[in-house]
Amino acid sequence: MLRHVTNRILAQGPRFPAPSAAATRLYHERVVDHYDNPRNVGSFDKNDPNVGTGLVGAPACGDVMKLQIRVDNETGKIVDACFKTFGCGSAIASSSVATEWVKGKQTEEVLTIKNTEIAKHLSLPPVKLHCSMLAEDAIKAAVKDYESKRAKSNGTQAAAPTEKADDA
Amino acid sequence: MLLKKRIYSFAIQSRAIKPHIYSSSIINQFSSSFSSSSSSSSSCFRFSKSKFFGTPTNVLFTRNIEDLFVKNKHLFCSQPKSVENFKCWNCGVEADNATPFLFCQACRTVQPVNHSIDYFRIFGLERKYNIEGGELEGKYKDWQKKLHPDLVHSKSQREREYAAEQSARVIDAYRTLADPLSRAIYIVNLEGVVVDEEERITDPELLAEIMELREAVDEAEGAQSLNQIQAQLQEKLKYWSKSFEDAFLSKNYEDALASIRRMTYYRRANEEIVKKL
Repeated sequence: MLRHVTNRILAQGPRFPAPSAAATRLYHERVVDHYDNPRNVGSFDKNDPNVGTGLVGAPACGDVMKLQIRVDNETGKIVDACFKTFGCGSAIASSSVATEWVKGKQTEEVLTIKNTEIAKHLSLPPVKLHCSMLAEDAIKAAVKDYESKRAKSNGTQAAAPTEKADDA
Repeated sequence: MLLKKRIYSFAIQSRAIKPHIYSSSIINQFSSSFSSSSSSSSSCFRFSKSKFFGTPTNVLFTRNIEDLFVKNKHLFCSQPKSVENFKCWNCGVEADNATPFLFCQACRTVQPVNHSIDYFRIFGLERKYNIEGGELEGKYKDWQKKLHPDLVHSKSQREREYAAEQSARVIDAYRTLADPLSRAIYIVNLEGVVVDEEERITDPELLAEIMELREAVDEAEGAQSLNQIQAQLQEKLKYWSKSFEDAFLSKNYEDALASIRRMTYYRRANEEIVKKL
């Protein structure tokens, strides 16, 4: 009856409406599962040379996501992963899925994990696609952090042999 | 009697635009008034009731043009209009530009929503971040006394619809301006700067701080520790609110956005605390 179009107030702009707002748009059962039965929640020691830490955030919705990987130095395989996410259910589920998927893979391999795969796995609605992007970013950041740690430690090792060569 | 015909065509955006099927002709009884420049993207189409004919084939967007801009935020065109002569749709009396034209004083009828009147103007405030809270509430109540749908039962269908829209807009305006964070986002939007809703950041310092904050809230036991954290949060919010204002006044929109980001994070943490308390 009333034609009026209510503008979303700007305060609500960055907040996404609760999924129960639309009767047909509920959280997918996988998302609920990750929320109710969280797996791989936790923290590794940031200073451990085998650990890469990825810390990303989405300021518009106030989300912050931390994803850590433990890598076997010899083989370059990710042996363990954990996450800590403060945000909506979709963000938590995305990071949880990310930790599950990176376990047992090579560090180069996980860089190919795409947010669209995560989103499809969780049947994320369009408004929550950026949560999966955040998870992809977190994976890449974690690998990058690990690589830079390794490069630093290799750098100090490499300096020693060159000195020896100079002496000789 | 002069008849000016002008056809406006705009790209149709899919969501939430309800086209008004009005004629493309702007009928002008008084030959002097209508200048084309001022109405380029304006939503002010006025026609007196008696001279109204429709051409069903032309679907026009009248005041919802502003809706387009507001909703899509591509062109947040809200430069203060140069002397818009608002005319009452009912009695034809021109409004004075002193008070925002939501309501005609002469015949006491509610006017349709005009998006060129921004939220600050509705409350008669200057477009600045630091506003007096007390004034806001008083003016809000005054407007609702005139515009609230519950008070217009005896009026025409059309006016009741206008009342619903206007009242909703005034409520939006009040809520947006009452809260510092939404006020900050709004005022920055008015300058054409848009807050990206899907932005992702990797700033390690900020994120580490927020991570610690959220963890502290999560692990806090008992109201006392929560209240402590909350007090610290309020301090930080005040600091960054001030920082926003400074950045905004010096037109440093990068810093303004950074302040908004921080405030959003702190606000979110505060909500978690409130949930726990």
